[in-house]
Amino acid sequence: MILLRLISWPYVRKHAGRALLTVAGIAIGVAVFVAMRAANDAVFGAFTQTVSRLAGATELQVTAGFSGFDEAVLERVQAMPEVAVASPVIEAVGATGLPGQGNVLILGIDMTGDRSLREYDLESGDAAVLDDPLVFLAQPDSLMITAEFARRNGLRTNDRLPLDTVDGRKEFVVRGVLGASGLSGAFGGNLAIMDIYAAQHVFGRGRRFDRIDLALTPGVALDAGRQALQQALGPGFQVQTPSARGQSFESLLRIYRLMLRFSSLFALVIALFMIYNAFATAVTQRRAEIGILRALGATRGQVGLLFVVESAVAGCLGSAVGVALGYALAGGVARLIGTLLEGIQGVGQGQAEVTPTPWLVGVALALGTLTSVLAAALPAREAARVDPIKALQRGRLQVLGAGENRARTLVAAGLGALGAALFVGTTSLPAFYVGYLCLLLAALLLTPWLSVALVRLLRPALVWLRPTEGMLAADSLIGAPRRTSATVSALMLAIALVVGLAGIGRASHGQITEWAESALNPDFFVTGSPTLTGRDYRLPEAMTGELAKVEGVAIVQRMRQPRVAYRNSLVLLMATDVESVGRTARRTVLEGEAADMYRRVAAGEAAIVSENFAAGFGVHAGDVVELAAPTGMLRLPVAGVVREYSDTQGALIVDLALYRKHWHDDTVDLFRVYVSPGAVPEEVRGRILTRFADQRRLFVLSSHQVRAYVGRMADQWFSVTWVQIAVATLVAVLGIASSLTVTIADRRREFGVLQAIGGLRRQVRAAIWMEAATLAVVCLVLGLVLGALHLYFVLQISYRDYPGLRFDYAYPSLVALAVCPVMLAAAVAAAIGPAESAVRGSLVEALEYE
Amino acid sequence: MIRLDAVVKQFDGKRRVVALNDVSVSITRGEMVSIVGPSGSGKSTLLNLIGCLDRPSSGEVSIDGRRLSGLDDDELTRVRRDTIGFVFQFFNLLPTLTALENVALPLHLRGWSRHRARERATELLGVVGLAQRVHHLPEELSGGERQRVAIARALSVYPPVLLGDEPTGNLDSRTGEDILALLTDLHARLGTTIVIVTHDMRVAQSCGRTIAMRDGQVVGDVRR
Amino acid sequence: MSKWMLIPCAVLAAATTVTAQDARQVVAEAQARSTTKSQRYEGRLQVVDAGGKTSEKRWTYTRLGSHGASKTIIRFTGPAEVKGVALLIVNFPDRASDQWMWTPAINRERRIATQDRRTRFFGTDFSFEDLEERDVDHHTYVMEGEETLEGERCWRIASTPRPGRRSQYTRSTLWIRQSTYSFAQVENFNGSTLVRRLRYRDMASVQGIWSARTLEMHDFTRNSRTILTLESLTYDVPLRDDQFTVQALQRS
Repeated sequence: MILLRLISWPYVRKHAGRALLTVAGIAIGVAVFVAMRAANDAVFGAFTQTVSRLAGATELQVTAGFSGFDEAVLERVQAMPEVAVASPVIEAVGATGLPGQGNVLILGIDMTGDRSLREYDLESGDAAVLDDPLVFLAQPDSLMITAEFARRNGLRTNDRLPLDTVDGRKEFVVRGVLGASGLSGAFGGNLAIMDIYAAQHVFGRGRRFDRIDLALTPGVALDAGRQALQQALGPGFQVQTPSARGQSFESLLRIYRLMLRFSSLFALVIALFMIYNAFATAVTQRRAEIGILRALGATRGQVGLLFVVESAVAGCLGSAVGVALGYALAGGVARLIGTLLEGIQGVGQGQAEVTPTPWLVGVALALGTLTSVLAAALPAREAARVDPIKALQRGRLQVLGAGENRARTLVAAGLGALGAALFVGTTSLPAFYVGYLCLLLAALLLTPWLSVALVRLLRPALVWLRPTEGMLAADSLIGAPRRTSATVSALMLAIALVVGLAGIGRASHGQITEWAESALNPDFFVTGSPTLTGRDYRLPEAMTGELAKVEGVAIVQRMRQPRVAYRNSLVLLMATDVESVGRTARRTVLEGEAADMYRRVAAGEAAIVSENFAAGFGVHAGDVVELAAPTGMLRLPVAGVVREYSDTQGALIVDLALYRKHWHDDTVDLFRVYVSPGAVPEEVRGRILTRFADQRRLFVLSSHQVRAYVGRMADQWFSVTWVQIAVATLVAVLGIASSLTVTIADRRREFGVLQAIGGLRRQVRAAIWMEAATLAVVCLVLGLVLGALHLYFVLQISYRDYPGLRFDYAYPSLVALAVCPVMLAAAVAAAIGPAESAVRGSLVEALEYE
Repeated sequence: MIRLDAVVKQFDGKRRVVALNDVSVSITRGEMVSIVGPSGSGKSTLLNLIGCLDRPSSGEVSIDGRRLSGLDDDELTRVRRDTIGFVFQFFNLLPTLTALENVALPLHLRGWSRHRARERATELLGVVGLAQRVHHLPEELSGGERQRVAIARALSVYPPVLLGDEPTGNLDSRTGEDILALLTDLHARLGTTIVIVTHDMRVAQSCGRTIAMRDGQVVGDVRR
Repeated sequence: MSKWMLIPCAVLAAATTVTAQDARQVVAEAQARSTTKSQRYEGRLQVVDAGGKTSEKRWTYTRLGSHGASKTIIRFTGPAEVKGVALLIVNFPDRASDQWMWTPAINRERRIATQDRRTRFFGTDFSFEDLEERDVDHHTYVMEGEETLEGERCWRIASTPRPGRRSQYTRSTLWIRQSTYSFAQVENFNGSTLVRRLRYRDMASVQGIWSARTLEMHDFTRNSRTILTLESLTYDVPLRDDQFTVQALQRS
């Protein structure tokens, strides 16, 4: 298109800085989108790959939540005609005693039968992998490690490797090395294989397996095999493909992914406004040019198209830069997500490789370009409607009809009403989303009106501050609502996003702390794993009595907390001594009567559910939950709903005796220990450690340590939030900078006139600064208010759609306060450059500027 | 009142352009002068120098006996705002302000109180015959009306000098005549020194003195 | 454990002179002559891998019953890492054997999953399938002629699994000594590829049964050999059924 070269290119060259900012707007939006997606894909790609590597030729996996099941189940599975090979698995995370090597995932498998399922990639023929299979099986200290891990640590066959076990730290012997591909690639090489029966012993599993991996008899369809197994085993077991199991792992992070999606969306919407702003200005500035074009015979369509194509080119360029920037950022984001996943799984995935996929690049380019074109559509339409005659009369401005304002207000009112109705009136999710969208649109439509109203309110203060300059600043803003509304819209959204994110952070942090203080109040937690969530090292029932006998110990409460399946989700089953816990650590009761509730649950007649469980599954006191236990369906009435944040998927509290009866599992994850009045906690702790020192690996965590741990977990979560807040703030700063640059540069003549009629430089300068600051204040006020609404929505969504977290509404005043000076400073800083160029440039030129 | 001594103005772009070449002009108080000449003759540059919008490359401009060459930008601005009123071809009204506010603007810049500024602005709009349209935005006014607002603004502090750069150039001839009549009337009533750059010979002829320019030099100076 | 491997013996009984021999009859006769009620020996197992690395293990072997319905216990006696490990193998005429293993270090027995019969037997060159007892009726036979192997006249017989019987080998070639009806060599093929060769050496008559006291298995895919030497070999020792149970496995 020749017009582009003749008309657009010179303009872009003349306003290079401005064009750059426009492109930067798109670039940031696209970069955020790409970084989030690419990192997400990389981490979960690596995760999926790990899942499939671990699975090998496994077609189906049998699990019973995370509770494990009796060995006897294996024989039942093996006896089925549909099953060709069935191999038991124990999966545990073990701490290596090697400095800097962290945890390894230990796969306990049956080497005599597992070969046909997993590819061990024998490094140099069969013999190299296991020095001697018989010795491997005969000696419980046998370990097979990956070539990668061996190389990193200079380990060779028959070398010793320390590993923490239930019985304390033990030396293991490397009796085999896995080759470089296949299994070895999972978890960045931090993977070890142990004989399953040795693993039962090392991890305190008793005679239980975590899982059975199986391949079906050739000719048996996957679905038919799955159904046959499900039928044979009953509802207490899950029969899934390995990838489906991987997905349920991923679902543990879904709230987090939701937040990422929100951020990308916001970034793009903000970019949309920035581009709109740039193009709207460009159209105003180039009216004469457009007039000439039209006079020379260009059709309206051609003129409109010119702008659309310009925006498409800008969008394309911006997207390309954004894609590159996004991928550059993705590595860091991937590390962050990786840390989160590691927190859930226990073992790092190793460095997730972020590799550009054509799909994502394509989508990002399309999205960026589309956003740009969309943003430019309105200005382009306006450009097409320019009246050539009027445009050619210099100094005459075309005005929009007053009708537009009324229509705008009407539509906004309509949308607002609809939004409010959908928001409050229905429980349907799509309606809820649409409602939110309506409210957001209404807010955006009302932005011009609202900002003018606000400036009117601010005017006296401005005039009082600096009569002349203040008046100039205020009147300029009042007089041109459309000029500023795009800026205000973009920044309002950005600030709202910041408020939403910070609000979630604050709410969750506050409530988690409160819960940690009331629910996690024992003096000590005695566990086999160094964290409360680790369930890899279990302790035997026999320890209960031994612990109780330690001098100074008053109360010992047992706790076993596996994940179990409930309506296709994996929820946390907290099996504990409810009667005792009910006395020492009562949760905030939301439904039900406390005393009666604990009594019934202690008697094994009922269960208590966490608030997020109740919300997520729509279960209330008096309802019945059906839990699939290995012994069959367990129907339990819900005695009450409490505040409990142990798990994002929801938690059920039942009595330990009930759990043992139905799950045949007498292991213990942790003991909650209260010391006797008068006893010195530190001494009791020392006695516990001494008592079991030579028997087993034990961690005695003080409530202080546990709360600190909970705090750290929460902080890890918030580190993501902070990054998002930083991105949103950056977008806001860039937005205000770009908008001010554009609008001030656009008004050079105006400032020239001001000087020509007697305005001093400093007066003009101050007026511009005040205008920028006022604009920032308007954005802040509107943004902080919209943020309040947005926060409400996000909390509602996490509550209605993602029943992970339910938090009370708490406005993040601190962050809101912190944003104010940042935005004001950004606004004024952004105004300095354009203001100086406006007052320092040649007056003669400024007056002729158009 | 206004003196230019051996003023040279050149623009250093890709190609050096000498806009004014050794121009010396003197205008006394109360004169109404028109400057004519083909485009590129340097007449607008001359006006900008008189209006303190620009500085000469060499030579001296003095207004009311005050030499401008020694002044800094702010002092120059002060001279401009106390001595000179501008009327532009393209009006140069601020589109976001009403007629009244536009006229009051220079007064505000001088630190006048709001009330006093509005009073004077209303008075001035009355002088230019726009008492009925004080609250209209520029875009709601016709070209002639806008130019009247611009003139009212230029007169806001009753400056001794009023400069017009093609004040009728963007108006139809009927309206142009009205504006010219207004200027002549103001000249007569207020005794303001008026300097107008124009193409329009009728405008030129209605002034007491006409300076003709060509190629950056004064080629004629006729008093009627 | 397989008869072919561990009791490859035959007694030249009475006066029957076999002339134009039917292949199946030869195999049946070889099986008949090697049948005993029970057996015991001390075994020494040497694995020589492709690189020439040798590892050695020792075991005590006891068997009760024969062919279709036998039970075997192998107790490892050396080296120290595997001492005490015991295996119980229960053979059935109509399906794969059941196997259990006792590991004293973790004090428990385990069932060995033998769904894949191609798996090597604990790092030796024998696969689990090689260890299964094969009944004469499981295969069809074709006489391929006579050959002299290590100085002895042998029948050379081709053996193919009967339809419905799964095997990692598509066919095998058997060499049976004409003098004693004892196995001399078995070659196992997958298609046309020779996978494993088993040789029966050091023949001696033990309690009237011709027995090989050295068995040598050669795995051609890995170029590795396993040599099993039988010492203190006796037949028809008094053994009871309850000595061949999972519970009995734990008593050493």
